[in-house]
Amino acid sequence: MLNIKGKVHENKNEHEHALKLYVEYTQANFTCILSLIVTIVLLLASIDITSLTIKPYLFIAFVAYAIFTGMQIVITQKIKKDLLMLGEIQKHTRKWGYIQLFSILTGNIFIVIFALNLIKMKQTPEYTFAVYMVLTQIAIIAISALNVFKPYVANLFPIAMIVLFIITLFQIAVLFIVARYANGHTVDQRMIFIVIPLFIISVTGNFFALLLGCSLLIKIRNNYRPGTGKWNGIWEKISQNMTAMLGMLFIIVAFSISICSYFTFDYDMAVENNYSAILQSPSPAYPLGTDNFGRDVFSRIVFGARISLVVGIASTAIPAVIGGIFGALAGYYSQRTDNIIMRLLDVLYAIPGLLLAIAIIAAFGANTINLILALSVGSIPTYARTMRANVLMVSNYEFVDSARALGSSDLSIIFKYIVPNSLAPMIVKATLTIGGAVIATSSLSYLGLGVEPHIPEWGNILKLGSEYLESNSYLAIFPGFAIIALVLSFNFLGDALRDALDPKMD
Amino acid sequence: MKKRLLLVLFSLILLLTACIETKSEVSKEKDADSDKNSDGSNPEIEILGMSSSEDDINIVRDQLIKNGFDVKLNLQPDYGSFKAQQDAGNFDVALSSWTTVTGNPDYAVRSLFKTGGDYSILADDEIDKLIDQAGIETPEEYVETYKQLEQKLVFDKAYIVPLYGSFKTQGINTDILDKDSIRLSKSRALAWETIDFKDKSKRDKDPLMLSQESSTLTSLDPIKGNDGSINTINTNMYVRIVNLTDDDEVTSDGSLSYNFGIAEGNSDYYFLLRDDINFAEIKDGKAVDTGERVGADDVIFSLNRAKDKNSVPDHRTYTLHEHIKDVEVVTDLDALEAVTISGGDDTIKAALEKGLDTDINELVSDKNKANNEAGKYQVIKLTTTEPFPQVLNYLAHQSAGIVSKKQVESINTYDVDSYDVNKDIAYGDQDTVTEGDKYNNTLYASGPYILSSKDNYEATFYKNPAYMKDTEHEPKISTVKVRFIKDADSTLSALRNSEIYLYYGVPETKYDVVDKDDKLTRQSIESNAVTYLLFNTENREVAESENLRKAVLYSINQDEFLDFYHGNKLKASSTVSPLVDTGNELKSDPEKVKKYLKKYKDNK
Repeated sequence: MLNIKGKVHENKNEHEHALKLYVEYTQANFTCILSLIVTIVLLLASIDITSLTIKPYLFIAFVAYAIFTGMQIVITQKIKKDLLMLGEIQKHTRKWGYIQLFSILTGNIFIVIFALNLIKMKQTPEYTFAVYMVLTQIAIIAISALNVFKPYVANLFPIAMIVLFIITLFQIAVLFIVARYANGHTVDQRMIFIVIPLFIISVTGNFFALLLGCSLLIKIRNNYRPGTGKWNGIWEKISQNMTAMLGMLFIIVAFSISICSYFTFDYDMAVENNYSAILQSPSPAYPLGTDNFGRDVFSRIVFGARISLVVGIASTAIPAVIGGIFGALAGYYSQRTDNIIMRLLDVLYAIPGLLLAIAIIAAFGANTINLILALSVGSIPTYARTMRANVLMVSNYEFVDSARALGSSDLSIIFKYIVPNSLAPMIVKATLTIGGAVIATSSLSYLGLGVEPHIPEWGNILKLGSEYLESNSYLAIFPGFAIIALVLSFNFLGDALRDALDPKMD
Repeated sequence: MKKRLLLVLFSLILLLTACIETKSEVSKEKDADSDKNSDGSNPEIEILGMSSSEDDINIVRDQLIKNGFDVKLNLQPDYGSFKAQQDAGNFDVALSSWTTVTGNPDYAVRSLFKTGGDYSILADDEIDKLIDQAGIETPEEYVETYKQLEQKLVFDKAYIVPLYGSFKTQGINTDILDKDSIRLSKSRALAWETIDFKDKSKRDKDPLMLSQESSTLTSLDPIKGNDGSINTINTNMYVRIVNLTDDDEVTSDGSLSYNFGIAEGNSDYYFLLRDDINFAEIKDGKAVDTGERVGADDVIFSLNRAKDKNSVPDHRTYTLHEHIKDVEVVTDLDALEAVTISGGDDTIKAALEKGLDTDINELVSDKNKANNEAGKYQVIKLTTTEPFPQVLNYLAHQSAGIVSKKQVESINTYDVDSYDVNKDIAYGDQDTVTEGDKYNNTLYASGPYILSSKDNYEATFYKNPAYMKDTEHEPKISTVKVRFIKDADSTLSALRNSEIYLYYGVPETKYDVVDKDDKLTRQSIESNAVTYLLFNTENREVAESENLRKAVLYSINQDEFLDFYHGNKLKASSTVSPLVDTGNELKSDPEKVKKYLKKYKDNK
């Protein structure tokens, strides 16, 4: 008896490292926590504290979540036991994933993602992309489908829904194919027949399809040139990071719904006043309630994503490009050029960004273009600094010398050799500052300096909601949550990108 | 198997989509929205307004768009930039609002719509004629005239588009204040002297906490300002020779006069002055009695400078008093007996003596010789340029507050023509009462309270120790503090956590919050405030085309404003609506809009 006990103990020590090795275990724990939080929120929401009664629908949702969360905890324990005892996850433990898949009916996306990861023994980035691609599409359909409860739907709604449905079916098929046939470093050339449609459907904003297509294309081409590219290494790291992937999921869902809403949502619902439906609580027809003008808050948030994303991305891309060019020139050329450019930018740097934005908007009026420009100007210097530092480093490398020896012009050296090799920190910085830009947009709108008040923009919606914090709190909670989620998502993604692009982390 | 499942799913979705009504199907049924789609030929209307009224602008925008206009918004953060945009003519319609603080209809139209009026951008002879005609008519007669004026102004010419009338609402902390002691008047500003604590022993210990939006006080000289920053303050700092009751009747109650009388012909007005009010001043941070009585010479001085455009630089209120021709003190008692009152047989003397303890034995010209108990009184006679009964309403306005002749003349020693804002310090300059090195309080208050000092956070007032002592009008609470709180939400929070005791002007959307709070009571009264759209009269399509203006007019649906404000607004057809029931009503009519738009496009 004693001996056996000792052996078990020894086994445990031996396999402790397996807990760290298997991402499934980390993901299982993470999923448990997230799912538990949602469950608790649902429980609290389902109880009416003042009258101590239970709201039936929310309570049913709570029970469903509780069941799946309970199973999730059991599975996590099972995985832990497997790993400690055997050093790997048993096949029948993985089978539990199939049961957990049903949690998609409750909308518990965390458990679904985990289950899909658990089912597949060896996860490739392609498989992860395919999973997230399908989930994005389902989310889009679910969000759009809520419109059927409205008195009427947009003219293109029926056709758009059928198209979305067909795309989903195709994507599910792709998921099976990828799970089956795309496990190695190379894939069959016939995969090209799914790559092209994937590229086409990515115009719906589902960039996971684009990523999957690119990944497959690289693997197809690797049939002739074996060896893993940098692409795969980066995405392998990112796709194992569940927070980053959830962040990306939210960003891409927001992006995709911004595009699909042209067909499935009616803009008038978001801007036209309807005095017969003022300040209604959430209901099927108005999933997030209506505001003081009787406008559907759900539609407003969906359309608001468009402006938030466009302004956020544009006001990051513009200074990144302009600042990048200035930084590259300053870093490459002599002292004098460097000094002139950087000192001028330092002057700009000395002005507080948000104040500069407010001044620009006050002078030129509030509209989307001015908003983008105002937010862009202030952040040019920081990008220039980042780029300059990189260029200073890269321009000392041998390949730059050899390019110069071969007689390339300065401009071609800068933009062909140096800039591509200095981009990684810029990408990380850009991703991290998009969140800031989204907040700045919302702040300016909140202060009444952004877009016009009737235009659905998250800051605008939040501003209106803040006046009703006490009586109709949902008016502020939902847009506030949307802003938080988008900013967090960009930050998580930026973090993961930094980890993946940093050579020191290898 | 799989195929069949797919087929079933697919057909289900097809069925589902077939069941839903799309937008065009719905709009076909309603046969609306036909004009809505912009084909580039829609006339564009630029709405100018302040961001504080963005809700109203949004409703107007929505209604115009639904009636086939394109709308451009011009939102300005504060009144200064709004006014600048308005003066520059950068608008088609400007969202404006007007409160008739004097409670008479003449004021509601004269400075707004008469050619050359203070705030007027109109020039229309017919409208001028109607305004002047109504001014000299009695209340019974002028109903018809104002009806015609409204018809011309709104429905025939469409110079303005009325949106709604408002309530005046106050929230009171009834745990602290005695609810019955607080007045809510249609026109006049809040009277502080009546307000009392529930616990009477707190009168001298605790200050009365009030609030107002603006911390920049235009001027504490009553004739140099007529806006929200000083209306209430100057009303409580300077007594007038008449007052308005809560429902806008002219009265002597709580004023400098015991009684007043209108002489036959409606051109001569007599006022019998009290002798129990002295000016107060601030000495060493306390309000003290100056010993100087408020008398006839001060009244004459105050009213003469009120009507004289050149009496002070930046005179903001002389148009209100342009009907005053002459103010004089009456010393001949027989003169009062020789005149009868308008529409009656009594003499003016009898009218002035009504309810007095001691009859008038003697009239004195020196205010210090007046002694009411002994029958020695002072009487003021005011003559108007033409018969104009509504002059009494203007005399009840804060700009007709009585200032000390001696004090004002000793402070305002500068020459008006060469007044230099940086060098000369005028009486009532807010810098003289703002804490800091410029502080030099020279105010002489004839009213129940006097301003001691202010900063950006609050202003402190003390009771005038010599104001109608031992009468019901003696101020109850010794100290009043007015907090400056910019926005409505913060003010409401201050009321709810007892930082202030009374919130004057609770916004419509917050009524339920006040109602739900047990310690708060809400009181509402129909006010004289009307919100309307003013059309530009220069360099714009709307200035030229009556048809375009009418199309805008009939696009506006006042019912929707009422819905938005949960029924806490009133219909209005012009700025006189709260004062005169003309029976006119603006009804939105999409058919008329189409008709006038078509006419407009055809004429173009």
